[in-house]
Amino acid sequence: MTSRRILIIDDEETIQTVVQFGIRMAAGWEVLTAGSGPQGIHTAQTGQPDVILLDVMMPEMDGIATFRALQSHAETKQIPVIFLTAKAQTAEKRQFNDLGVSGVITKPFNSLDLPEQIARILHW
Amino acid sequence: MKILLVEDDDLLIQVLTRSLAPYHYIVDTVKDGEMGWTYGSTFEYDLIVLDVVLPKLDGISLCKRFRAEGYLTPILLLTAQDTITAKVQGFDAGADDYVVKPFNQTELIARIRALLRRGSMNPSPLLSCGDLLLNLSTCEVSYRGNSLILTTKEYELLEILLRDSQHVFSSEELLDRLWSSEAFPSEATVRSHIRRIRQKLVAVGAPQDLIATMHGRGYYLKVPCKEELAQPSTKSSSNRTATASDRPHSLDSAQSAKLEGSRSPEAQQQYLAFLNATWTTTKPKSLNQVAILAKVVQDLQANQLDLPQQTHAQQVAHKLAGTLGILGLAKAMHLARQLESWLGSREPLQPKQAPLMNTLVTALQQSIEETTQIQMSQILQEHAPLLLAVSADLAFNQSLANVAATHGIRFDTLLPDTAHAFITAESISGQPSSDQPFSDKPTFSANQQPDVLLFRFPTAPSDAADATPSVAQFNTLLTTLQAFASRYPALPILVMGDRSKLSDCLEVMRRGGKLFLDHSAQPEQVISAAVKLLRGSQKPTRVMIVDDDRTWLRTLPTLLKPWGFTVTTLADPEQFWTVLQASTPDALVLDVKMPQIDGFELCQILRSDPNWQRLPVLFLSVLTDPASQNQAFIVGADDYLCKPVKGVELANRILSRLQRVRAWAS
Repeated sequence: MTSRRILIIDDEETIQTVVQFGIRMAAGWEVLTAGSGPQGIHTAQTGQPDVILLDVMMPEMDGIATFRALQSHAETKQIPVIFLTAKAQTAEKRQFNDLGVSGVITKPFNSLDLPEQIARILHW
Repeated sequence: MKILLVEDDDLLIQVLTRSLAPYHYIVDTVKDGEMGWTYGSTFEYDLIVLDVVLPKLDGISLCKRFRAEGYLTPILLLTAQDTITAKVQGFDAGADDYVVKPFNQTELIARIRALLRRGSMNPSPLLSCGDLLLNLSTCEVSYRGNSLILTTKEYELLEILLRDSQHVFSSEELLDRLWSSEAFPSEATVRSHIRRIRQKLVAVGAPQDLIATMHGRGYYLKVPCKEELAQPSTKSSSNRTATASDRPHSLDSAQSAKLEGSRSPEAQQQYLAFLNATWTTTKPKSLNQVAILAKVVQDLQANQLDLPQQTHAQQVAHKLAGTLGILGLAKAMHLARQLESWLGSREPLQPKQAPLMNTLVTALQQSIEETTQIQMSQILQEHAPLLLAVSADLAFNQSLANVAATHGIRFDTLLPDTAHAFITAESISGQPSSDQPFSDKPTFSANQQPDVLLFRFPTAPSDAADATPSVAQFNTLLTTLQAFASRYPALPILVMGDRSKLSDCLEVMRRGGKLFLDHSAQPEQVISAAVKLLRGSQKPTRVMIVDDDRTWLRTLPTLLKPWGFTVTTLADPEQFWTVLQASTPDALVLDVKMPQIDGFELCQILRSDPNWQRLPVLFLSVLTDPASQNQAFIVGADDYLCKPVKGVELANRILSRLQRVRAWAS
């Protein structure tokens, strides 16, 4: 059995912790965490996760910039990215879609449901 | 596995214990029938082996006594009498098997093992959980093909966990089942055994928490989720949403089952406990963030707020909202979101807006301060059924929303045009909406997939002048309905319209409507019809509730009704057996403190009756202390909830318990 490895990039520590706990508990997947875009890119390069959950609104380097950076690196280019966002307006979603992210999960969410949502989005 | 051997022949005792030893069975031996009764009725055994000829009380009588008292433990009789009459007598007494002396040892062992298997839920000689495999015939344990060298106790412990991987075993339970009555081990013994097995498992590559600890409850095997064997290469395919054809379409069933399992009461409880632990450290931080916001409002009032400060405050509010949201604190989160959106406006805020901001900040602070404990209902809400109404009648939508809320049903609306745009956009893109994250609202994500749909058709105006747009509206709505029906065939669709127009009515049904209500139907009727549809053709679940609080008993049936429960209430525990037998419930909810008899005793008595050993029992009590909860699980409860409880939560817990029972029985 291959376990999944998830990377969550969110500047809010509580969210990192709760998501990590929820995913581990619900699906037993491994969860890597990062508190900022640059840190997340580094972790993605070294950890090669199966998917990246990326907070859109972060200070300094936001989700979109982080996503672009991930896309520009050969080692992280192929990793699917799901945006985490509080505002899920249609226009914004279109914009994300055009960027090429795999999906969007709207905050708030119950972390226990995350594995199922991720699996649905990525057809795992 | 524990065996009670009642035999007075020392030689035979020796032979039997020796031949059973390699199989790691624990054997308690007593030499007369009375002692046999004392042991058998005091301790729990997986099998009783009885000699027919015994001092004090013969084997046949003892066997009858066990059966008369409701013991279901398999019984094997040993006898020298090889006559049909003797055998028939033995089986009539309730024995499961009969072996004639002198016997062939191998045959006896085989029969014992067959009986043990029959007694357990698992008839196969192989026990497994994910990659962990235990072969009962060879007593070998392996993980991913790597064999584990275990001591007898470690093997037995693992076997127990594997036999019922759904079950959380308390230390007491493991002590009871694993150590013979002569040993006096402590809980620390169990802990150290568990630790050693974990070390051995980790050494062969198993996850550290394959044997998981549920704090305050015990140990259980964590069933890992199964992955597809031929794993599609996630990384090489495009990182856009994959199309339906290039990946397996749905979650594999084991994985779904696992994910379902994550919603079990234990998992939810554990998750909730974690959220609460997180909250204790997060709360002061959140209050600090509120203080920053309060300061900003002050500055605004004094007209001293500049744009960078405002932007910074917006980020603070954003972070705060995120934190509160993930912890399930919806009310506080919404307040923080409102602040965030005010602070995020492009224009600098004006001092005149300060009072409003101040109100929001104060309310937010109060909400955070008041939250000492995150409740189960706060994280469970999204599992409540969702009714999605396609309706342009705003007044009706509002009253329907209110009624839905009182029934614990989530409610959302969609304007006919939006619904049409949504479903047609979807049909064109060819993507099933649950996997389509970019569609217009509603995004049918996991949480938002409706469980029942309502289409409200406009009433035909009486004057002919307006007839044309109305017909167009009607037809568009019909097309929308049909599109929804073909896209979500399993989704029940309720339609409201003019019942007197038979042709319309027929057309609606033809397009996929399941139930047609007249336009004049009241919101209450609509909700109850929706509930019926939600229930489908399922037989209603019978729930019996015993509680001496009569007011509570009166409200509960209303709370539980939307989930299709038939509720029997009982305020007088003295009538318990009569009512229980008459109502034959699928689940039982017990209060702890009642005047004549307490709920724990009632549960204990219930569990000793073979007919009711598997009936799901949930305790509902004002007692919140761990000792009471622990006591409940000791007497055989399946779940424990604290009052006050919301209908949604109680229903969810009952349902999830029943699902487990069904899964187990199937």
